[in-house]
Amino acid sequence: MRTKLLAYSEDRSWAAQIKSLSDSIKAEASIFLPKKEIAEKVSGLYEEIYYSDLENFDPLAYISAFFEVAKLLSPEVAVFPCTGKGRILAGLFSAKNSKSVATDVYNVQSKENNLIAKRLVYGGKAEVDLELKIPATICLLHGSYVEAKANVESRFNKVIKPNASCRVIFTPKKVEGMEPDKAEVVVVAGRGVKTKNDLRMIMELAELLKGAWSVTRPLAVDEGWAESWIGISGLMVSPKLYIGIGVSGQPHHMMGARSSKIVVAINKDRNAPIFDECDYGIVGDLYVVLPEMIKKLKNMKQK
Amino acid sequence: MKILVALKPTYDINQLKFDSEGVPLLETCPITLGEADKCALEEALRIKESNKAIVIAVTVGESQSHIKGIRDALAMGADEGYLIKMKNAWNISSIAVAKAIASFAQLTGPYDVIFTGAGAGDTHSSIIGPMISALLDFRLIAGADQVEVSENMVKATCKMEDGTYYYESDLPVVITVTSEANEPRIPTLKAIIRSKSMPIKEVDPSVLSLSVEEFKDLKVLKHSIERKRIILEASDQKSAEESVEKIITFLKSEGVI
Repeated sequence: MRTKLLAYSEDRSWAAQIKSLSDSIKAEASIFLPKKEIAEKVSGLYEEIYYSDLENFDPLAYISAFFEVAKLLSPEVAVFPCTGKGRILAGLFSAKNSKSVATDVYNVQSKENNLIAKRLVYGGKAEVDLELKIPATICLLHGSYVEAKANVESRFNKVIKPNASCRVIFTPKKVEGMEPDKAEVVVVAGRGVKTKNDLRMIMELAELLKGAWSVTRPLAVDEGWAESWIGISGLMVSPKLYIGIGVSGQPHHMMGARSSKIVVAINKDRNAPIFDECDYGIVGDLYVVLPEMIKKLKNMKQK
Repeated sequence: MKILVALKPTYDINQLKFDSEGVPLLETCPITLGEADKCALEEALRIKESNKAIVIAVTVGESQSHIKGIRDALAMGADEGYLIKMKNAWNISSIAVAKAIASFAQLTGPYDVIFTGAGAGDTHSSIIGPMISALLDFRLIAGADQVEVSENMVKATCKMEDGTYYYESDLPVVITVTSEANEPRIPTLKAIIRSKSMPIKEVDPSVLSLSVEEFKDLKVLKHSIERKRIILEASDQKSAEESVEKIITFLKSEGVI
């Protein structure tokens, strides 16, 4: 009998990545999405699409809607995106419904009746092979699987909206320019960038490369220079090109960028850990190197 | 008000080294309470000061690091400290850890608030708090950067991937706290000395009616992504120009710009 998999997603890209995982272990996949508008975007990827009428993220309400679907299907595997929300939901779901759970998973194989998952630990410095007894819950890392293509006819099923567990007021983040988790090039400012005003250079470089810009967690949370950041507790990105400017490369930050195809680092400290995990690095003052890079790229563009 | 703070001593991953085979040298890696766990305890202590609460600290494990973790919590100001005695605490599945803490809370409660760090310093799964909430049927505030707890309500602000969430929730509640929520206090010498004479109580898992299944790590190895590590110098304007020129050429040939 085929393994039954139930996915959770809030957008098409994640839904398509989880579908690809599901196909690789020959599972029979269904999906739950919080709202109808999002569910419609997933059409063609899953045969059975469940949705509710959920508003701002209320973890207990979200998981009780997901649980309604799980009761119906009894999945052997539940898969959530490895995002802040995905982790919360995976914790809530697995405590009562799973024998095993793993976050930060980037590969899943089936083995007899169980699953073997590869997960990253220690800020991505180490990888672990885990045997997951089913029913299992998994949080999948962004960029681990290519997006599956739409190739089935979808049926849409509505799940009744559960009661709210708390009062929620949501302020969406302001996106200046492109969103880092959707861009092919991501330019990231780290602590080496001295003032908020200097972020203009980072933005300029991102714009020249038709990419997005972001920061490390201290710049977003301590300094308040940006509303989101790259890292294990923020956005996980997998662009073709990641450029870290004044980024030292602490494991919890690098974890969010580890699946980038090419990593470039500019830092004046030769011993910064990022130089151990970059493809190309420049040891030098970013205030000298960055203007030079912007100048050269502008010249290239004009030619 | 009764508050439980669940703590986990973790490897300091910034100092983690590997042997030549790529096996992590965990024996020599320093272990401390995670930053977020300390912030969780700090939030509890602030409530204690303003609201007359009793604060109980608990960890799952019995090693010297676990004892030290609880000792540190007592020095910071926790009223009581407990160890849930389990061997090989590092190899217990997160579900088993959450079940142990939830059973402990049932045994020693009722609690109004259970705090824990939003993510442990080493694995950073961020799932233990939500699990405890599900097991005990408590409300949940996950990833709080700002918390305000009153007699019968909690207000919190949580930054997430798509924006900022402000929550108001009833009690009892599990609150997971990020490492940005506050500056955890540093205990005074007097408090450290006083904590040394405070008992650390031990709880046998059999009292919690738990069946603990260890999870199997089949293999732990250094995660290495092949990177080219071509490092250029830019010590002055001229070398900066040359290095930038070279990098742009490399990136063009990689097809990424």
